[in-house]
Amino acid sequence: MTDTLIRPPVPSEPPPPPSPWRPGPVLAVIGVLVAALLGGNFLGWRDRFIGAPTAAPVAVASGRQATDGGATATSAAPSGATAKSVLRSNPWWQGVTTLQGTGSTTTAPVAIDPSALQFRATWTCQTGHLTVASNSRPRPFVDSSCPSNNVGYGVDKGSVTLKVTADGPWTIKIDQQIDVPLYEPPLPAMTSPGASVVAKGDFYRVDQVGQGTVTIYRLPSGTYALRLDDFFVTPNSDLEIRLSPLDAPKSTDQFANGPQSALVKALDVTAGALNFDIPPEVNVRQYHSVVLWCEVQHSAYAAASLS
Amino acid sequence: MTSPSTTTTVAEKPKPHVRIRGKDIPVVLPNRRDPRLRLSAIIFTLQFLGQSVLGFKLSIAQILVTILVCGLAEGVMTYRSAHMLVWPASGILTGNSISFILRASGTKHGDWWSLRGIQFFVLAAVVSLLAKHLIRPWRGKHLFNPSNIGIVATLLIIGPARVFPQYLWWGRYGSGPVLAAMAVILFGGYWVLKPVRMHAMVTAFLATFAVVVGIYALAGRNFVAIWHQGPISGMSYWVDIVCSPELLIFVFFMISDPQTAPKSPRGRLMFGVGTALVAAALLLPQSTEFGIKLSVLSSLTFTCALVPFIEGAVARRQARAAGTTPATMPARRRLTAAVLTPTVVAAAIIALAAPIDTSTLIGNKGVVNIERGLTGSRNPQ
Repeated sequence: MTDTLIRPPVPSEPPPPPSPWRPGPVLAVIGVLVAALLGGNFLGWRDRFIGAPTAAPVAVASGRQATDGGATATSAAPSGATAKSVLRSNPWWQGVTTLQGTGSTTTAPVAIDPSALQFRATWTCQTGHLTVASNSRPRPFVDSSCPSNNVGYGVDKGSVTLKVTADGPWTIKIDQQIDVPLYEPPLPAMTSPGASVVAKGDFYRVDQVGQGTVTIYRLPSGTYALRLDDFFVTPNSDLEIRLSPLDAPKSTDQFANGPQSALVKALDVTAGALNFDIPPEVNVRQYHSVVLWCEVQHSAYAAASLS
Repeated sequence: MTSPSTTTTVAEKPKPHVRIRGKDIPVVLPNRRDPRLRLSAIIFTLQFLGQSVLGFKLSIAQILVTILVCGLAEGVMTYRSAHMLVWPASGILTGNSISFILRASGTKHGDWWSLRGIQFFVLAAVVSLLAKHLIRPWRGKHLFNPSNIGIVATLLIIGPARVFPQYLWWGRYGSGPVLAAMAVILFGGYWVLKPVRMHAMVTAFLATFAVVVGIYALAGRNFVAIWHQGPISGMSYWVDIVCSPELLIFVFFMISDPQTAPKSPRGRLMFGVGTALVAAALLLPQSTEFGIKLSVLSSLTFTCALVPFIEGAVARRQARAAGTTPATMPARRRLTAAVLTPTVVAAAIIALAAPIDTSTLIGNKGVVNIERGLTGSRNPQ
């Protein structure tokens, strides 16, 4: 018997639905994935492409005079192998070197820190004419008849050679403007026998941010000095350290309308660890707080109660 | 006089439409019973307080541009899908919410027409609307709260150097402007939540969150904020987080979106408690206000993605109670089907990335420096 069964025609299968993974959706999913990685700052992408929350860490300065031409780490600096900081001070002038000569010359290289904002040349000359230009910029930043004295500014960084054209003797003091914190070690007199701590306090905010501690020392000489540690105040170029008879000034009005305060010194550096001599005419024992005051803004930035 | 006919014909009120290129296009105008109008009214009132007495670092131009972008995008997308010109109530609300919470670094209060960082507001608006209209993996509706995902994405992608969320507290406790804002929020919460029946969910969130954050406060947790001297701990930790106007805005007006919250009462309770627990878990290790606010916002991004599972669990429970077996696909097939769908994959990435990326803020010294005000003139906040 032969197989006479006639197979029915096999119905053709419906075409499979189109894959949802078309180029558009695939790109969209990749976009979501990239956004997710960026949102997690994966491999530092967000900081690199969009911006980091704070400035890059840089080595702090060790003193008001650059020892090796720029910012260096010191024992007074914050802990850490590299003694770097993301904090920034109000820009301040750090001494670099003083050059002297007679007549025209090309100076030895002057090391301006790569992170410096600018440098200045405070010059004096006696006779004839004086021009000073850097090796990379032919236009002189000092061009004057002598005798005279003034300040010229340049923006070169790194190893800067100055071309001096002069008819007589001249002196040029080079400073660089930097904005890294300054960590000065305590004054030797602060740690010598006979020195004592007479008052101490922590900074708190008034109109701006202020943090750190203030310590007032009586030095063996009988004078007083003030030290700021782990210090930061919102940067401004017109700040002063003042001693106030108030116990704890809480507002600008309270300080401004309160008893007479005494000026210790203008505050040029706004971050780090700093020393200041208190003028001998100031009777420290009359005062109970330290106020960081901005006369231009008429604002008490921060204060510390002394105890 | 006799009536000419026994039949009466009622003339239908013509539906509003416009004629463009010979084609009638229906127009849907705002409906005064729309609860979204209530919410918009509350947010606009708070925006007014923010601009006048609360010192919001936000410009009128930033508000208007964000609302305009969201409104236009919503209108265009709705027209493309429904061929109708619909008043973009949702888009306007999304734009309003984004501009209410998002801040661009460097914007000063009172600089009304500043367009500073406007690109970030536009980014948040675009992300919100794209997520709303493109990521619809479940029942054809959007999964994520639009303004929430836009704000979270912008805060995470752009980062704390450029953007930040509005501060938890908008002034001193008990000050007139803050009391006025709190009154508006509490009244608005009642007024807006009542018609959408979200009170139970909101209460579940607040109760759970308050208890867990209270435990954190007792355990000594603290955080730093740009507006406060030193770490905030103890009772202040609890008050500054749980009672803050910013958290109440989040609870009353963001997680309570009926479109993205579960529909069932039990599901809503689970959603409220779950969002509170996720928010609390994310904020536990955070030591900055930025991290805490982002934790709270990210918790909603995560739990919105759980809504299908919550609804499924509730449906199964109801089916068991009724003695029936709901038709469900085997788990393996469901997983395979999900992986084969780009929208599900995208939703999963977003839901996981939000809390994970938020966790990368833990111990971020840059954010700590920002919150302590140590970034000086470049302070982003």
